[in-house]
Amino acid sequence: MSELLDLPWSEARDQVSPREYVDACLAAIDARNATLNAFLHVNRDADAGTLPIALKDNIVTSDLPSTCGSRILGEYRSPFDATAVARLRAKGAALVGKTNMDEFAMGSSNEHSAFGPARNPWDTSRVPGGSSGGSAAAVAARLVPVALGSETGGSVRQPAALCGVVGLKPTYGRISRSGLVAFASSLDQIGIVTKTIRDCAEVFDIIAGHDPLDSTSSTEPAGDATLDLGKGVRGLRFGIVHEAVERLEGEVRANFEAAVGVLRGGGAIVDDVSIPTIPYAIAIYYIVANAEASANLSRFDGIRYGHRSERARTLSDVYFDSRGEGFGAEVKRRIMLGTFALSSGYYDAYYGRAQRVRAKLRHEMSDALRRFDFLITPTTPEPAFAIGAKTGDPLSMYLSDIFTAPANLVGIPAIAVPSGFSAEGLPLSLQLMAPHFGERSLFRAAAFYERETQHWKRKPRG
Amino acid sequence: MGRDCVERLSPITCAAMKIDRDEARRVAGLAHLEFDDAGLDRMAGEMTKILTYIDQLREVDVEGFEERDATVTPMRADEIREGVDRDLVARNAPAWRDGFFVVPKVIGGE
Repeated sequence: MSELLDLPWSEARDQVSPREYVDACLAAIDARNATLNAFLHVNRDADAGTLPIALKDNIVTSDLPSTCGSRILGEYRSPFDATAVARLRAKGAALVGKTNMDEFAMGSSNEHSAFGPARNPWDTSRVPGGSSGGSAAAVAARLVPVALGSETGGSVRQPAALCGVVGLKPTYGRISRSGLVAFASSLDQIGIVTKTIRDCAEVFDIIAGHDPLDSTSSTEPAGDATLDLGKGVRGLRFGIVHEAVERLEGEVRANFEAAVGVLRGGGAIVDDVSIPTIPYAIAIYYIVANAEASANLSRFDGIRYGHRSERARTLSDVYFDSRGEGFGAEVKRRIMLGTFALSSGYYDAYYGRAQRVRAKLRHEMSDALRRFDFLITPTTPEPAFAIGAKTGDPLSMYLSDIFTAPANLVGIPAIAVPSGFSAEGLPLSLQLMAPHFGERSLFRAAAFYERETQHWKRKPRG
Repeated sequence: MGRDCVERLSPITCAAMKIDRDEARRVAGLAHLEFDDAGLDRMAGEMTKILTYIDQLREVDVEGFEERDATVTPMRADEIREGVDRDLVARNAPAWRDGFFVVPKVIGGE
């Protein structure tokens, strides 16, 4: 594939015309998408642009459909662009396509897409991760330099890890969610997928900041996140999350220990830190996220947009039949769980309880982040798994997010950085977490690690 | 790292909230989802398994931790702003007439 697309965006943009850049992406998509299924919609009439970009299909756009990986939205065409998209377009971005995803962002493998799974460019028999699997696969395969995804429990970092690219989950409230189709409103954030940390930081600077259209977006000033990229890690304190790494085995453990060695080599202070409530993160997540999803997804009712069942004879039929036909099995399972957890008699035992454990986790992590500048873990407990390996067991799929979900529950920023490869040649990844609004220092530490290791330069064959 | 190891990271304790077909039917009604009996049984089994895992939250001491975060989402000023173009809304409507969404009769069926 074109050498131009092997370069980071921040280098390539100065070497070609905007027209050539976008056309190179479109040609790469044409060559590879039949295999990878990373794109659900390709914008063959894309304008020229200095930033060719792909968007997860739950980020709405006025010029391409937004399906959320679901049949229930039909060919839904938003009346407006998401704020993040509008900000990117104002800086010269050209939308080349919308990417595949688990239906309504519910999944960790992309296998819950209504349009078939995206595939991992490193081994197409394996999953790219999820739910932003199409975005991660598209950047890893060098089809686009930058893609946006969304995070609720790790849906950018986990696929970024499995595909060997950079994935950022910003602080809760840092990026406007206007135009991001809601999944779990106390957790959702738009995230960024790139090859390099610099690209990620520059895109972050374009889209971060308050938006009057999203009341939950922070008014905290958004500074220049690229400012400290060259500063290194001397004297910075990194806490290894004891509960996350104590049972790690084999090459994931060895890879993580090597990453710690790189940080130490740069003068970082590294020590263990205990966060006893972290092992409960997935249990908290699946109550909180599904409860909120059951409320948010009630809007898909066949009345105002999307699929309406042909069978419906009464208004009640429209709801039941349209949702029954339009939603896939995993979405129904999660709506059922969430509805149960909020239903009369069970609210305190499930949602209330989960929220209180979440408050305890927040307390412990804030405490740890007073003693350390960063918390570190592997991004995922294992590299990319085979397509079909976990579809029969929802719980084992959920546990793919065990290291990523805590940052969403607590609202802090976290980043996945490529950390090398397994013996089978599958990408591995290091996760760094920082205090609220600590993106600039997150980029600083991640950029140091990237400079020392250069894993981003290795690319999948094909 | 294998799956056993992943599960050991989150110890599963068994206390058990058992969902049966009738409970699954009640929840499906609340959620506006329809399943046949086989679908309800399958859903009941999956929900029971997941809730069994979630039951581990009962063992955490949450004394002193509240359900709600102290931070509140600020309200925007109550000012008139330009709305969304009605024609663009109509474009997505399954049924639309004279500026309204059209639905089947509200009473009937059951």
